[in-house]
Amino acid sequence: MGKYNYDKSALKGLGVGDFLNEVKVREAHIAAAPASEIKSEYNANILAKKLHPDYQAVKISEIKDGPDSKTYTLVPDETKGTKSLAYFRAGQYLSVVVPMGESYICRPYTIASDPKDALGEENTSYKLTIKRTAKGFASDAALDNWKAGDSLIVSAPLGQFYYQDLRDAKHIIAVAGGSGITPFYAMAAAIASGAEDFRLTILYGSRTADSIILKEELAQAEAGSDGKVKVVHVLSDEEKEGYEHGFITAELIGKYADGDYSIFACGPYLMYDFLRKEVEKLGLPSRRARFEVPGEFGDPARDPEYPKEAAGKEYRLKVIVHGETTELTCRSDEAILDVCQKAGIPVSSDCRSGICGWCHSRLVEGDVFMPASADGRREADKKFGWIHPCAAYPVSDVTIEVFPSS
Amino acid sequence: MKKYDVIVVGAGNGGLSAAAYFAKAGKKVLVLEKHNLPGGCATSFVRGRFEFEATLHELCQMGDGNNEVKRVGAVRQLLDGYGLDVDWVAVEEAFRAIVYDPENGYDVTMPVGIKEFTAAMEKEVPGSGRFIQCVLEYGKMLCDGVEWLADHNNEPGPLAKVEMLLKYGDLMKVVPRSTNEMLDRIGVPEKAKYIFESYWDYISANSDQMSFAVYCFMTYTYLTQKPWIARKKSHEISMAFDDAIRKMGGDIWYNTEVVKIDIKDGRACGVQTAGGEYIACDHIMCNLMPTVVFGRMVDPKEVPEREKKLISSRIIGQHCFTLYLGLDIPYEQLGFKAYDTFVRFTGDNVKQYEAFGNLDTHKDYCVTIINEVIPDCSPEGTCMVQFAKFYTDDAFKDVTEEEYFRLKDKIAREIVEHFEKVTGIDLQSHIEELVVASPVSWARYLGTPQGDVYGYSPAGWDGMFPRVQSGHKLDYTVRGLRFCGGHGTQMDGYSQAYLSGAEQARYMLEEM
Repeated sequence: MGKYNYDKSALKGLGVGDFLNEVKVREAHIAAAPASEIKSEYNANILAKKLHPDYQAVKISEIKDGPDSKTYTLVPDETKGTKSLAYFRAGQYLSVVVPMGESYICRPYTIASDPKDALGEENTSYKLTIKRTAKGFASDAALDNWKAGDSLIVSAPLGQFYYQDLRDAKHIIAVAGGSGITPFYAMAAAIASGAEDFRLTILYGSRTADSIILKEELAQAEAGSDGKVKVVHVLSDEEKEGYEHGFITAELIGKYADGDYSIFACGPYLMYDFLRKEVEKLGLPSRRARFEVPGEFGDPARDPEYPKEAAGKEYRLKVIVHGETTELTCRSDEAILDVCQKAGIPVSSDCRSGICGWCHSRLVEGDVFMPASADGRREADKKFGWIHPCAAYPVSDVTIEVFPSS
Repeated sequence: MKKYDVIVVGAGNGGLSAAAYFAKAGKKVLVLEKHNLPGGCATSFVRGRFEFEATLHELCQMGDGNNEVKRVGAVRQLLDGYGLDVDWVAVEEAFRAIVYDPENGYDVTMPVGIKEFTAAMEKEVPGSGRFIQCVLEYGKMLCDGVEWLADHNNEPGPLAKVEMLLKYGDLMKVVPRSTNEMLDRIGVPEKAKYIFESYWDYISANSDQMSFAVYCFMTYTYLTQKPWIARKKSHEISMAFDDAIRKMGGDIWYNTEVVKIDIKDGRACGVQTAGGEYIACDHIMCNLMPTVVFGRMVDPKEVPEREKKLISSRIIGQHCFTLYLGLDIPYEQLGFKAYDTFVRFTGDNVKQYEAFGNLDTHKDYCVTIINEVIPDCSPEGTCMVQFAKFYTDDAFKDVTEEEYFRLKDKIAREIVEHFEKVTGIDLQSHIEELVVASPVSWARYLGTPQGDVYGYSPAGWDGMFPRVQSGHKLDYTVRGLRFCGGHGTQMDGYSQAYLSGAEQARYMLEEM
């Protein structure tokens, strides 16, 4: 035909028969194959299910009192189908379903125990240390109501706040405030047991020596770590021998630093606001300072970008689930997700910090405020008007579509 | 009366395309997706100040008409027809191929454009230009032929078959031949052959197994229509689908896992969700692999014997290990330039394929740097470097929970150190964010066997052409139940999955 300028000699000896027969050949292959049972379990999938179960049913086996806090030991609840617990990386959290009367609310709590305790089929456990927080209706509900023997539903281990040897310095300086000690206790225990291998210096801020959470456990991990873990208590409201005093400043960090190090921080927003300025003074590149997601943003009005005129109001919130609309009201300082969950609409959520994206929902109408520091959305979410309602606050009447877990 | 004309199970690329096709045809469609996002593989994720592309390397058949062949690609036409609002960006390069074998190694960057590609090959392998030119002429014929077939819905009737014989007899001759066989017949020198075959591991079969027609068509299309990506990562495409489907009257429920496909007497009649809700529907389009659906979602009594045989006759495609780095150094200062690079120990992909079956022998990977195409895809002063390697076989089979995290980190370190050694570039001093996804991670998110991302291996007898010819009446034997996606007739890849969704939706519409 001359339409194509290729060397036809390459086709020598080739006919069209094979092409015309291709379907027949394929059918013959299929016909010759055994009609065996279809394999539904594959190794990678089995391991994936072990590491990332859809949820875990656990029982509280033990409760230990601490200063203004309790430590709960959770074991698999076999009666509800959970035989073993998922292994995790020290620093990861569980999203815990906290029953609240008729409804419930999910809260992320870092696992405060050695990952190795969760391994195997027998005597496996997680520990959660929960501290009473000022406006914490979830922590109140837990501390006031949970009893030994109670059953709970928790997520698989989640979160990215863990040591990565390819990314982080070999020496981690941990800065912890209050219950922010939990990931670092898990790391210290992991180092002591050999599950992790790095140097960890924990600068732990508490108000007084008596208010230190997990004090004995930390000391134990330090003693068993072959010198790799060092715990430094920093008291803000008390001067006492053997303790540092004041806030955790650049100067204090410098005192314990040597050579290359990474800062890992976990604590409340207020601590981060202070610490970020201190870290700046140290001149570290941003890859050398990591902040755990801080939990709920709280009152959005403290963000300088917040539209002041929206404050102190109550808005109509329409929530669409599978085409059905529920009408609620939402105060301007309430995260939309909280209002949904309290109303019994089970919107999926994990981090509650605006970051993980699990609560990804569609903003149908109206405007919301999302603090920039708690806006972990993808670029295309912004383009198509999707939000993370765990860190979104209404600034007008709002309609959203949410997607509860089936 | 049933509320929905059709239910699409799974909002991956194939499912989204099928749903858009149904909605556009005026059908009431419900999409059920177990994850909280659309797209399946076509997604992105945020870590710190970086948003990483999860999987997209490039889309094929996306020409905008403004190219040397003046062709608007079939996939572009399809997606535009759905009304997707996506900011598409062309990649101005084919690939870079590095073979680090000290004796027969090379490092070559291949441009798009027939003339440019041929000239670059001639420069790298003197004397090879005329052979590559010839190969690409075959590509031109194949491209016309594939388009002709598509115009006949891939099912030419008796009269059209005669026309096909006259017009595309050569296509019919080369389809059953392997890539290696045809390149040898044409006389392409070995090194040029290896370079030309660089794209191979995007298609899950080595060049002894891969149809020359399919491979050559794909390469020709990339060279003439360019590879394309989305400005806001592949999540933009998936969200654009969500938007378009809703605008056309479709519903999408996320976080809704279908656990059972109800089949009675060889006829689909509904689905059941993990929450226990039963939704009756006569037409169900599955964007899941038949292995998964017939293996655990269908009453075993209702699994047709042919489906069992088909599944047992096929090989699960490759599963991938991906590593994402957010670096605190601008791309211009990185010292490495290329969008998509294949780094391999040999140019011979039959040997590569063999080595990919084992954790100890598989050291190769490809590298993608979106900043080359979209400079502001990461914050100022940073860039993102992503690695992917594809395993065949059950490479992670004996890994325990306790070993798993360490193994992931070990492979990640191996890749980074290897890349540093091959290129002389320091990555480790700049890693600000690092994410590792193993086949186990992919198994978690996708639910495919072994975390497979490429469906079934399109080897030999189960290649694209015989699949396409079987996809209407021979495969998918349960009435009211069809399958689409990267495991479908059109093979793996975003573009192929979109085409597969449209193709199977078209067949299903005939039955509605």
